Amino acid sequence: MWRLIATRLAAFVPTVLATSLVLFVTVNVVPGSAAKAALGIDATAQAIARFEHEQGLDRPLHVQYLDWLGKAVRGDFGTSFQNHLPVGPELVSRLPVTLELAILAFLIANAIAVPLGALAAYHHQQRLDSVISVFATVLGAVPSFWLATVLILILALTVKVLPAGGYVPFAENPAKNVSLFIMPALSLGLVSSALLLRVMRAKMIEVLSSDYIHTALAKGAAPNVVIWRHALQNALITFLTVGAVEFGWLFGGVVIIEDIFLLPGVGQLVLVGIINRDYPVLLASALTVTVVVLAANMVVDLVAAVLDPRQVHARSRA
Amino acid sequence: MSAEARGHRRQDRPPVLGIAGLTIEFATRRGAARVVDDVTLDVWPQEIVGLIGESGSGKTMTALAVLGLLPRTARITTGDIRLSGASLLGLPEAQLRTIRGRQIAMIPQNPMSALNPVLRVGAQVGEPYVLHRGADWKTALTQAVRRLADVHLPLPDERASEYPHQFSGGMQQRAMTAMAIALDPPLLVADEPTTALDVTIQAQILRLLREIRDEHHTSMLFITHDLAVVAEMCDWVYVMYAGRILEQGSVERIFARPGHPYTQALLRATPTGEAAQAELISIPGSIPSPVDLPRGCRFVDRCPYRFKHCDEEPPLLTVEADHTARCWLVETHG
Amino acid sequence: MSVQLAQRERHWVGRSAVHWRRFRLLLIGGCLVGLVVLSAIFADVISPYSPYDIDVAIKLQPPNRAHWLGTDEFGRDVLSRVIHAARISVKVAAVAVSVGLIGGGVIGIAAGYFGGPVDMVLMRFMELLFSFPAILLAIVLMAVLGTSILNAMTAIGIIFIPGFSRLARAATQDVLRQQYIEAAHTIGMSDVRILTREILPNIITPLFVEAMAAFAYAVLLESSLSFLGLGAQPPEPSWGNMLNTGRGFMDQAPWLGVVPGMAMLIGVLGFNLLGDGLRDVFDPRLREAA
Repeated sequence: MWRLIATRLAAFVPTVLATSLVLFVTVNVVPGSAAKAALGIDATAQAIARFEHEQGLDRPLHVQYLDWLGKAVRGDFGTSFQNHLPVGPELVSRLPVTLELAILAFLIANAIAVPLGALAAYHHQQRLDSVISVFATVLGAVPSFWLATVLILILALTVKVLPAGGYVPFAENPAKNVSLFIMPALSLGLVSSALLLRVMRAKMIEVLSSDYIHTALAKGAAPNVVIWRHALQNALITFLTVGAVEFGWLFGGVVIIEDIFLLPGVGQLVLVGIINRDYPVLLASALTVTVVVLAANMVVDLVAAVLDPRQVHARSRA
Repeated sequence: MSAEARGHRRQDRPPVLGIAGLTIEFATRRGAARVVDDVTLDVWPQEIVGLIGESGSGKTMTALAVLGLLPRTARITTGDIRLSGASLLGLPEAQLRTIRGRQIAMIPQNPMSALNPVLRVGAQVGEPYVLHRGADWKTALTQAVRRLADVHLPLPDERASEYPHQFSGGMQQRAMTAMAIALDPPLLVADEPTTALDVTIQAQILRLLREIRDEHHTSMLFITHDLAVVAEMCDWVYVMYAGRILEQGSVERIFARPGHPYTQALLRATPTGEAAQAELISIPGSIPSPVDLPRGCRFVDRCPYRFKHCDEEPPLLTVEADHTARCWLVETHG
Repeated sequence: MSVQLAQRERHWVGRSAVHWRRFRLLLIGGCLVGLVVLSAIFADVISPYSPYDIDVAIKLQPPNRAHWLGTDEFGRDVLSRVIHAARISVKVAAVAVSVGLIGGGVIGIAAGYFGGPVDMVLMRFMELLFSFPAILLAIVLMAVLGTSILNAMTAIGIIFIPGFSRLARAATQDVLRQQYIEAAHTIGMSDVRILTREILPNIITPLFVEAMAAFAYAVLLESSLSFLGLGAQPPEPSWGNMLNTGRGFMDQAPWLGVVPGMAMLIGVLGFNLLGDGLRDVFDPRLREAA
């Protein structure tokens, strides 16, 4: 078990480093762009040179990266070009918002995808399967930001049961906090659930056609016993691994969703960084969103491994 | 058990398993595929009855029909399946579930894939007690350990709490056997139970199955493609080909005087000795598709002795006592 | 009867019902895609008004006989704008998918064909790209490249490269395992000839099928970028920027937000269905693959 966690962690750290390198190079690859972004397009060559020297941007790229990395691991992500405040504390204050949104969206997505996917698989090639599959296909084609807009139109503007946007910390007012997160989490979660549902259905169909399910049936097990005791855990092992990756791929949507619902999270900070061409902010916030996704992947992977005795229990003597 | 013994048993009570005129069809785009055609087969108490055939002969479909686990697209068009005299066809699914695992149990071809990888072996072996006897898991586990001991699994206590992947192939098949005999069902359906195992392990499992028949008075429908295994295990044998029974009789008689050219070819293809890995594919030609069956005898395309009469399918003709074959030449041979 | 065993049917058991169902998907997908693509091509002919003509006198009109889908905050005809917006979507998606297809195809074939360290380095890098959330990567690329339609095409194309490369690699390895490639080597065929004569024809189908699915996602990504103001720039209409503007008028003119969303839905759904349908037609083995 501990070995399992250790191997997953050992794979996690280099991935994070590599993603940070890719983002760093991407953001800094165009020479002079940072200075122009900070000083305006009509900055003089002298001003640009001075700025680059101050910021250490005239050094070779790998030196810059190592310098940035050295500081980043200590929580120092530089200062914003825009308001000259340190980026680190800003991230820390925004991270809980994004995490809450991510967790809620993930829970909603799975709460829909797992039972419906299993149900569709159980009724494979029957009417219920068709209905669920059509539902998933249509839902999967809905852009999350449009769903968000429609939800606001219905729930906030027409029925007026939920606030249209904003943020209150959970500690301050739990009820208000949750009510503010419902629509953003639904927007991301529903759309992701469509994709996860298809994955779950496929995995469950695979499991239900396996020999050990036949064994369970031959023992006289009823359908609910077959599904819950014999099939679900097996399907979840592969579903979680694949599903987490797919969910992460879609999770970039937070950038838009946080913006629409005025949630002061890290995703919104990415947009702030882009609009202001504030490279330290952009780099740090984009990396944070990526790391959140990678960490979530790792956790889900671990959960999947724990569900699988073949990974936890080594082959014994035999 | 000898053939005479079988004739004797016939008098006093119904067979454990009685299949009469069973026909199974699938609806396909190219018309109905008749995978099992008018099969009649009996398993008498304490008999091990072999059902031998190539893949695609319909032997596995027959077994699935007995368990009531045919694919949804399959349909039993005619015939009956009786368990100790009571018909299974037309029973509601809920009632079939009370029969599966308690009256009929299955020993699978590939124990590795037939065991659930995420459940402990003990829980899987003991599950029939929970499903059918309403036992709690603790009791079920105790029973499972007892059954694992019955099938001579070493250290059953410890092994019960292990997972299938921690077992060797032979141990896995022992576990499957323990699961099958958990509730002492009168009938076991063994579907190629040794095909996936090493030769040395095969012999052990076959010995175990014979022992179970002797000690638990179980009857067995033994499905295989391996004549050597039939010779070693069975009292009575049905030879199946393209959905049809081509020959049936006591094992001694059929091996001594095979009546059907197909059986003869099978026997020639089987090397004598323990290590028989007979591949029926060695007979030239291939089994006809069930949507495109020959008009007369099913074996006509591959038969070296075919003649004009073969356009018409022969009935099962008597070769001798306790031995019939579906070939016109049987009569001429006398 | 239990359903689980449906999978155990013998291969010859008919799938006519399934076939028809799949064909139906293909048909619906084809119609939706046809609608979008034809709108894009003949936008000038079929749209009732110019998408740019401003007439403040008729601003924010709800759907009516003259303007079937209403007018926007400048009095422009929403229907005409939605039709013209299909152009941007289809154009961006087509170029982006081509970038992904060619880039990913080359990388994947190289990795699969040469194997060893080449394979390892290339695929590690692809995995890395794949570990970024898609939209985030597109946004960051747009920030660096600068806002323009051309850059949107490039950014979205780059996102597709890992997916196509994986597929191309797997397909290449599949082909290489076949006997005839070994035969080709033995008779002294050059690498290039083997690639073009043997491998390319065999991997084109899975790549093409994947391209349809990518098309759907490209439409979605382009809309996302335009929604954020990083793609098509006003006054040029795109579904994303129309929705973004419409968002500000949700309480007084909801059609401004609803209409472009429906258009996106039609486009994405159409390409998805078409992709699913083609997948089944060309490669039944992938039927249940995730």
